[in-house]
Amino acid sequence: MERKKSPLMKKLKFFGQSKDIAEHAVLSPMDREAEKVYRRRWQHDKTVRTTHGVNCTGSCSWKVHVKDGIVAWETQATDYPSTGPEMPEYEPRGCARGASFSWYIYSPLRVRYPYVRGALIKMWREELETIKDPVQAWQEIVTNPEKTNRYKQARGKGGFVRSNWKELNELICAALIYSIKTYGPDRIFGFSPIPAMSMVSYASGTRFLSLLGGSLLSFYDWYADLPPASPQVWGEQTDVPESSDWYNSSYLLIWGSNVPQTRTPDAHFMVEARYRGTKVVCVSPDYADFVKFADNWLPVKAGMDGALGMAMTHVILKEFYVDKETEYFTDYVKKFTDLPFLVKLKPHGDSYVSDTFLRASELNSTISNGDWKTVVWDQEKNQFAFPNGTIGHRWEDKGNWNLHLNDPEQDYKDIKPLLTILGNEETQLPVLFPHFEEETKEVLRRSVPVKSFKQDGETVYFTTVFDLMLSKLGVSRGLEGDFPKDYDDPRPYTPAWQEAITGVDRKLAAQIAREFAQNAVDSKGRSMIIMGSGINQWYHADATYRTVLNLVLLCGCEGVNGGGWAHYVGQEKVRPLEGFQTVAMARDWGGPPRLLTGTSFFYFATEQWKYDDTTMEDQVSPLVEKPRFLHGGDYNYLGARLGWTPTYPSFDMNPIDMTKGKDLSNKDQVIDSIVKDVKSGKTKFAVQNPEDPKNFPRVMFIWRANLIGSSAKGHEYFLKHLLGTHNGVLGEENTEVKTEEIEWGDDSAKGKLDLLVTLDFRMVSSGLYADIVLPAATWYEKYDISSTDMHPFIHPFNPAITAPWESKSDWDTFRLLAKTFSKMAEKYFKEPIQDIVATPMLHDSRGEISDPFGKVPDWLNGEHEPVPGKNFPLLHIVERDYTKVYDKYISVGPMVKEQIGAHGIGWSAKEEYEKLKKILGPATKTKDYKDCPSLYTGRDASEAILSLSSATNGSMAMKGWAVLEKKTGQKLSDLSEERAAEHFSFNDITAQPRQTLTTPIFSGSETGGRRYSPFTTNVERLVPWRTLTGRQHFYLDHEMMLEFGEEFPAYKPPLRKAAFRSDDNRPTGMGKEINLRYLTPHFKWSYHSMYYDNLLMLTLFRGGPTIWLNRDDADEAGIADNDWLQIYNRNGVVVARAVVSHRLPKGVSFMYHVQERHINVPGSPITKQRGGTFNSPNRIYMKPTHIIGGYAQLSYGFNYYGPCGSQRDERVIICKLDREEVNWLED
Amino acid sequence: MTYFEKLFWVSFPYIMLTMFVVGHIYRYNTDQFGWSAKSSEFLEKKQLKWGSILFHYGIIFVFFGHVAGILVPKAVYDLLGVTDHMYHMGAVWIGGLAGIATIIGVLLLMVRRFTVKRIFINSTFRDILVLILLTLIIVSGFVNTVWYTGRGVAFEYRETISPWFRGILALNPMPELMIGIPLGFKIHVVSAFLIFGLWPFTRLVHVWSLPLEYLNRKFVVYKAIYSRRILMMQSNRLKK
Repeated sequence: MERKKSPLMKKLKFFGQSKDIAEHAVLSPMDREAEKVYRRRWQHDKTVRTTHGVNCTGSCSWKVHVKDGIVAWETQATDYPSTGPEMPEYEPRGCARGASFSWYIYSPLRVRYPYVRGALIKMWREELETIKDPVQAWQEIVTNPEKTNRYKQARGKGGFVRSNWKELNELICAALIYSIKTYGPDRIFGFSPIPAMSMVSYASGTRFLSLLGGSLLSFYDWYADLPPASPQVWGEQTDVPESSDWYNSSYLLIWGSNVPQTRTPDAHFMVEARYRGTKVVCVSPDYADFVKFADNWLPVKAGMDGALGMAMTHVILKEFYVDKETEYFTDYVKKFTDLPFLVKLKPHGDSYVSDTFLRASELNSTISNGDWKTVVWDQEKNQFAFPNGTIGHRWEDKGNWNLHLNDPEQDYKDIKPLLTILGNEETQLPVLFPHFEEETKEVLRRSVPVKSFKQDGETVYFTTVFDLMLSKLGVSRGLEGDFPKDYDDPRPYTPAWQEAITGVDRKLAAQIAREFAQNAVDSKGRSMIIMGSGINQWYHADATYRTVLNLVLLCGCEGVNGGGWAHYVGQEKVRPLEGFQTVAMARDWGGPPRLLTGTSFFYFATEQWKYDDTTMEDQVSPLVEKPRFLHGGDYNYLGARLGWTPTYPSFDMNPIDMTKGKDLSNKDQVIDSIVKDVKSGKTKFAVQNPEDPKNFPRVMFIWRANLIGSSAKGHEYFLKHLLGTHNGVLGEENTEVKTEEIEWGDDSAKGKLDLLVTLDFRMVSSGLYADIVLPAATWYEKYDISSTDMHPFIHPFNPAITAPWESKSDWDTFRLLAKTFSKMAEKYFKEPIQDIVATPMLHDSRGEISDPFGKVPDWLNGEHEPVPGKNFPLLHIVERDYTKVYDKYISVGPMVKEQIGAHGIGWSAKEEYEKLKKILGPATKTKDYKDCPSLYTGRDASEAILSLSSATNGSMAMKGWAVLEKKTGQKLSDLSEERAAEHFSFNDITAQPRQTLTTPIFSGSETGGRRYSPFTTNVERLVPWRTLTGRQHFYLDHEMMLEFGEEFPAYKPPLRKAAFRSDDNRPTGMGKEINLRYLTPHFKWSYHSMYYDNLLMLTLFRGGPTIWLNRDDADEAGIADNDWLQIYNRNGVVVARAVVSHRLPKGVSFMYHVQERHINVPGSPITKQRGGTFNSPNRIYMKPTHIIGGYAQLSYGFNYYGPCGSQRDERVIICKLDREEVNWLED
Repeated sequence: MTYFEKLFWVSFPYIMLTMFVVGHIYRYNTDQFGWSAKSSEFLEKKQLKWGSILFHYGIIFVFFGHVAGILVPKAVYDLLGVTDHMYHMGAVWIGGLAGIATIIGVLLLMVRRFTVKRIFINSTFRDILVLILLTLIIVSGFVNTVWYTGRGVAFEYRETISPWFRGILALNPMPELMIGIPLGFKIHVVSAFLIFGLWPFTRLVHVWSLPLEYLNRKFVVYKAIYSRRILMMQSNRLKK
């Protein structure tokens, strides 16, 4: 190496010694030392494979480069296994957002130390000083209103002081123990979303809380990312193709899903498909990013998508079913949908309405499970037939739960189900169908061909779902009634009818429907619809979704590679599901866990139910005289007491006190006495009185989430009622529409929550409003695993650096809490406690055949007797030894050996358990569980999840298939045979991404490197869907579905809402204003709250909160681009800058998702506070049909079915803030 | 001669000049990346346009004025037949004009630095110190020239300060020359030496990086990894 010369010497030495080497060039004597700076910029000490646990759930593999112990930058990994010949590859994956992540590690937003609010810790230290007993100290604080006010009102007002882990752990555990002793473990809540994005971190908190008996809040439905249509149609939470399967499609309809913007690393498959000749049609109200790729653009009016869906269904039914029969379609729908199944008609005045599915039990009372076996008409035998595969067959376990069209009861083989009665009808009957318009409700009277049979001496008419559907859709077959003549007839549901509603040209709508179907005919189902939050986050999203799903079902696209629905909103696919559930819900130690619907919880906990401004009268079917209840809250109470939907806290008593003084040797008797007490009213459901302090949530943990800043729809209500601090609610409680059964207190509770703890690496809104903020490790500082449904790989998190400052991984944080808790429990819980856990009837369990015919067996008024598991929650007596929480947390419990599984199939993992013990070693740190595998570190947890899941361990897959083979009588295990010996270790997936195995718990086959598409196993191997008929459903015959007119896919317009009600505190004198629909779609420069506050992203677009407006709307209110605006309605106010653009249609404003108050938000003159978040003008409503339970696919499952926290139906008032009105509140 | 007179007119100038020379070498060798004018044009343009241009053109003329007045002995002028009147006319009018431009420029820059928030936030202590010193030097120099001359009592610095300064450079300090000169001149001289001392550690180093080579440089500059070896080969080839 040359000796380093001083720059000055070099400069002097070579002064003037350049050589001319060409006319315009010179050879300088200066060396190239300066380049070293640039070269060194990209030198590094090591690279580490990890990923981002962000809730885009793109799950991209990244290489993180570390230099001098500092994370310097990250680059995309490029070593994905190939998708095979003739396919584009997955690599590279990753977007600009992910590439900027390392900024956070050393950013000013980083939470470096454990923080606590000064007002609280001051009191705590004083109390502890005098009392010495931490639990009593906590009691002193929270039972003194003056003291609680002091720290609760400090929430969101700063004043954090640095504390240490020991002190805060003690405080938290004191609060936990006090709350458990005084109110019950079900008053403790945990919120953490989307396990798939970092399963071990998710599992840490839920494992700890499940061992305590705390309640875990769902997120998929709360986020309104869950499409309830999926459980309704398929009995499946969400099952969609991986993004590479888009390439297999030859017709892509993209509906409200901004693929390049929100699915950036996957969008290339869509573009590549176009190069291959695939037509791309986009449905979107605005000229969104994805519309650029469209061959046709259908600019639908926001929220009216259901009308377009109905009209396209009309066209397909007419042209491909009625005008000419399409063999591929009719074959498909007869085998795989409920269209040929028979539905009874019920007299209604001088006409009829559709009622429940006809059941085998109504025709032959000797058939077992006959209430749960649906019926078709065999056209050859001219007879009723009871085909295999219904939910009745599923729970009989006779090995005939499959989709062969055989009738085991009557021993018929190869049933030929009649699709339409027309031609074989006894008569035609006029049937009434509910119809909804924006301002009115109407009844359509259209005839249907029917047959009949005698039941109890009365003639009962029935027809097929297909016949009803054709008539409902207005496809005339020469039948009488209110049928439209042609496509130009403005009666429902023609293309002309939709044109008036959606603004989409009728010819174009018909053309796209025709092309979509014709492509499916030509390609055997390779027409695909990519759909997303643009249509999924509305109140009536499920109705809309079902109108769109009509297209893929009618065209035989589901279960076909390159075809079917493709829903990507908050993807939720934990591929190693069984292992994950075991670790996360502490199922290895028993259970059951308390799993609650997030939306119902927040609806009551934040008192939003008292501010409802719509009544159920607006929403029920016009065929119903009046709704069961006027208020949505009452429906939730109904579902809770019937055991349909979960409710925690369950009762107005402490569940650990309910067995006191009772003889535990006879558990049934104990449970009976509890049920009796509830029936008599001695014990009440907690949901019956959300304002009773006994029923308040007491302690809440938030981790991996930004609940307050990102998903708190009704943000200001959260602040007002849950947290009890300053807020911007402008509305008044609605005293006109009160609950009938839920007690309506005149004085709404404020500040319900005693302690809010958040674990985060960023100081965002949740931290700003929490009492305690614990510093979390980032994604580059811990062990974890991540998966998604966008691709078939499982990615590891590996620490590139050790967690800096005092931060800890979530796994370690909760382990530490468990240790402190167990230690303290030795004093406060010397004996194990008996905890009464109430759970709803679960989907994929026998509980889903609880309420035959989908009736409402309410016991409240004595019509029925409450029976747990029938029309009352199941009650379990769970023994908890709180001194062993820590030992159980750090070891894998032996229950794994008995039963593990998912989606209704279970098997023993004895061998895998033993193997795991060898991999991880025994749990030597425990006292009593030295014979169990250790689960001490996050890496141990990752390894356990991989070992105990069928997607990552071939032996588990083979066991699962064996069980499913027995249940279905179908050959299935060959799907995994080729990879049966594989068992992914953490090292394996760190070395290179690996494609998961085909597993019995998901519905698509990946055998032989095939791309994942849902339901291919159902279609090819005749495994039934987990629904009532075992087929894909168009018709839902539950009493409450009929009540709300949603038995068929229906167009239901957005809620009729005003920005303010007359008795609200509407601000006056605001100058020129406009009233617009308020939408919060996904941002280009962030994913939820993540990256929005990242400096690199902020510099890309205006560096602060913005709201997009149409230029004509802006003109009307005198708004120019970049003006500051106030956006407000009765729910709250947010301040943002205007982005005036022709890209948006008139009447709509877009405030992109999660623009939070901690970045450049000035004060609002209305509230005199910092101008809110994007969720300030939002709130949630209860949709009654989402609380249905105990009925086939309409049964509860965590994040599977439940009320959705929709947020698209709001309207806001927008007005300009003059420059001098902009106050940064900095003085 | 008091201690302080010796200090101010002998030791202090040498300390500052030493710092000036050694400091530059040190800074150039150790801080290549910091060797910069630290332009703030990115943060503010409109005020900079006037302030910077007035200041820089002004200060260039002022510099040559100082060369003429201080480095060139009075005898040279006498020899050339430049009368005192002619000299002072030149000094007052040309110097005054340049001075006015410089003063307006520096005051504009000063106002800009203190009132434009983003500039102030991005200023270091040294940036502000340099600006204040420069203002002090420029204002005192201007006042000296215009005030004394304008009152008709022209102070003949060419017989006191100039020889003293040349004496310093010639390592022949003559502090007695500085005794009794007006206070304004003293302030000007001391603050000027102070800035010489601070110079290498501030943005002023950009004065030495005026890219004059661009005036005759060829468009394309090649740099070799082993530049000396290549150059040698080149010249060997040329020799053959």
